Amino acid sequence: MQELRELAKKLLAEGAVKVVVGYAEGRQGVRPIFAATPEDADKLIFDPRCVQNLATYLSPRRAHVAALGKLAVVVKGCDAMAAAGMIREAQRKRDDFVLIGVRCGGVLADPRASAAVTEATVAARCPGCEVREPKIVDHLLGPLPPAPPGASALDARIAELDAMTPEERFAFWTSELAKCVRCNACREICPMCFCVRCVCDKSQPQWIESSPHARGNLAWHMTRALHQAGRCVGCGECERACPVGIPLSLLNRKVARVVAERFDYVVSDDPEKPAPIGTYRLEDDQEFIR
Amino acid sequence: MTRQMFISESALKSLAEELVKAGTRLVGPARERNGDLVYREASDLGEIELGGDPPTRSLKEFFLPPTEVLLTYRQKQGDVEVTPAPHVFAPLVVIGARPCDAAAVAAVDKVMDWDYHDELWFGRRLATTIVSVACGGGDASCFCTAVGLAPDSAKGSDVLLVPVEGGFHAEILTEKGEALVKAHAARFTEGGKAEAAKAYRDAARGKVQANLSADPAKIRAFLEAGFDHPIWKGIALRCHGCGACAFVCPTCHCFDIVDEPDSIERGTRRRNWDTCQAAKFTLHGSGHNPRNEQNCRIRQRMMHKFAIYPARFGEILCTGCGRCIRVCPGGMDLLETLDKLGRLPAGAPAEAKRGAP
Ligand code: SF4
Ligand code: SF4
Ligand code: SF4
Ligand code: SF4
Ligand code: SF4
Repeated sequence: MQELRELAKKLLAEGAVKVVVGYAEGRQGVRPIFAATPEDADKLIFDPRCVQNLATYLSPRRAHVAALGKLAVVVKGCDAMAAAGMIREAQRKRDDFVLIGVRCGGVLADPRASAAVTEATVAARCPGCEVREPKIVDHLLGPLPPAPPGASALDARIAELDAMTPEERFAFWTSELAKCVRCNACREICPMCFCVRCVCDKSQPQWIESSPHARGNLAWHMTRALHQAGRCVGCGECERACPVGIPLSLLNRKVARVVAERFDYVVSDDPEKPAPIGTYRLEDDQEFIR
Repeated sequence: MTRQMFISESALKSLAEELVKAGTRLVGPARERNGDLVYREASDLGEIELGGDPPTRSLKEFFLPPTEVLLTYRQKQGDVEVTPAPHVFAPLVVIGARPCDAAAVAAVDKVMDWDYHDELWFGRRLATTIVSVACGGGDASCFCTAVGLAPDSAKGSDVLLVPVEGGFHAEILTEKGEALVKAHAARFTEGGKAEAAKAYRDAARGKVQANLSADPAKIRAFLEAGFDHPIWKGIALRCHGCGACAFVCPTCHCFDIVDEPDSIERGTRRRNWDTCQAAKFTLHGSGHNPRNEQNCRIRQRMMHKFAIYPARFGEILCTGCGRCIRVCPGGMDLLETLDKLGRLPAGAPAEAKRGAP
């Protein structure tokens, strides 16, 4: 913690950055802080309640954050993958920001929780994580904690869904998606949903109906899931933001698996590795156009 | 003067049974499969939770649904045929509404009957009887007492129930409330248990009061003079502009109207929820956006709720339900913001007058 605060103060004092985006104690649980002064830097913390993916604040859509000047961002491995994704997709340049990496032992599902990381409390994305020591970062802090316990609840749930008949699976998703109110919170919080103009906002012509009815919701979630193929970093922020509790992580992780099988590609914090969505390879399986 | 009565737990259960049997829709806070507590239709009072956590979503969707059909149209060579949607307003009784949620629909009534009388809103309002249950004082996100309400406030309710030994002290507040009591007269006994209810009410009020004691008049004075105040420059840094706060808010009522074609000749006009927190809410066709960053959009939300609506309708457009705080993925905290604004002197410092945030 002291290491993080000292580094933040140094970066601010040297003028290397204008603001350090990190985590701080709020009235109820941990939340992001934008530290621009040594006093604010002294509030920085990192512990298993630091759930949020702060790389989202690097998104070119966040004008009020960009207006602050150059940022340093505290990143876990999953957050670093998002920063790398923005570089990979030419949204930001590596020199535009400073990344302060923290070695991670997994986080809780809820930033307001007070529990320790156990099999019962760990965020679904963490068990099996391979980026607990992010490589793309400028600074890497803290000792490496033990690996997150247990197996991912998402994998078990996906296995259950895979075992269903297509009709049963469709019924499951229909009932989940029926709850969607089209607030777009899942899109707005997502670090990889950085389009200034989303296809869903286009109205001439209207490709995706904006109404939260069965047809509109299906079109929206299919579109988003496919746009996240080979791009989603699995941070689970979309699901955490959803005010009606739709299990979006199931959809995204399933798509990520298909991409891994079909295109031999797993999202990482290496910005040089081209993503399948923007590349063409002769050896890609093309049975769908045959 | 409101009428005071008593209803036992078992009598309330029988009352609910009678309603369902008669074909009235029964709505109350009930669990979803994933454990969320939401207002939904129930077939039995046993499904309804009359205390505990505040429901994650508010009551507004029963009056302003997330999407609804306004009309259908057909067009052929310049001829247009428009068919209004056949709306039916079936009788509905809500049992277990939070007082803050009942108060919210009463506040929104004002704008729905302002420059335009919203027939769909009032069709549903008239068909609905709201039986609220005083809550135990909510959680750390609740601040109803700071906006002139309380965990036992009567605003917007037709009947208010306060838990007492063996049942509820009942206050019959409106004609709709009287009609409900008349139709189920055998379930109520005269007199009420006001004495027994008092301890519960006082404890609940005290609990919420401890969360926030800001003065709405001071906040309004600050907002009316402080459009250019430097605080707006950084107010929304954490905010993602996701709008989840507005969608769960019981008083946010903005909507968008869209035409969705089913073919070249036919289509449907719908209205859907919308929010001032979305970047495209004020995006002009020219590409210009007068609220070009999230700081301005948060200011708009504060202004609308705590200055503009009170100025126009004499009501604060916030009931302190705390849902925006519970739901916010960015850790924005309205209670904290109100506390801060309430402490600032009204009027912007001179040097800040230059640029808007
Ligand atoms: S996914 Fe990995 S890096 Fe991200 S919080 Fe979990 S353990 Fe940490
Ligand atoms: S889609 Fe969801 S899990 Fe994937 S990067 Fe976006 S917010 Fe994270
Ligand atoms: S956050 Fe949830 S309710 Fe909102 S658009 Fe996304 S899935 Fe739908
Ligand atoms: S205040 Fe929170 S819930 Fe509301 S738009 Fe901002 S991030 Fe979303
Ligand atoms: S805001 Fe007040 S009435 Fe509403 S749940 Fe909280 S304490 Fe109860």
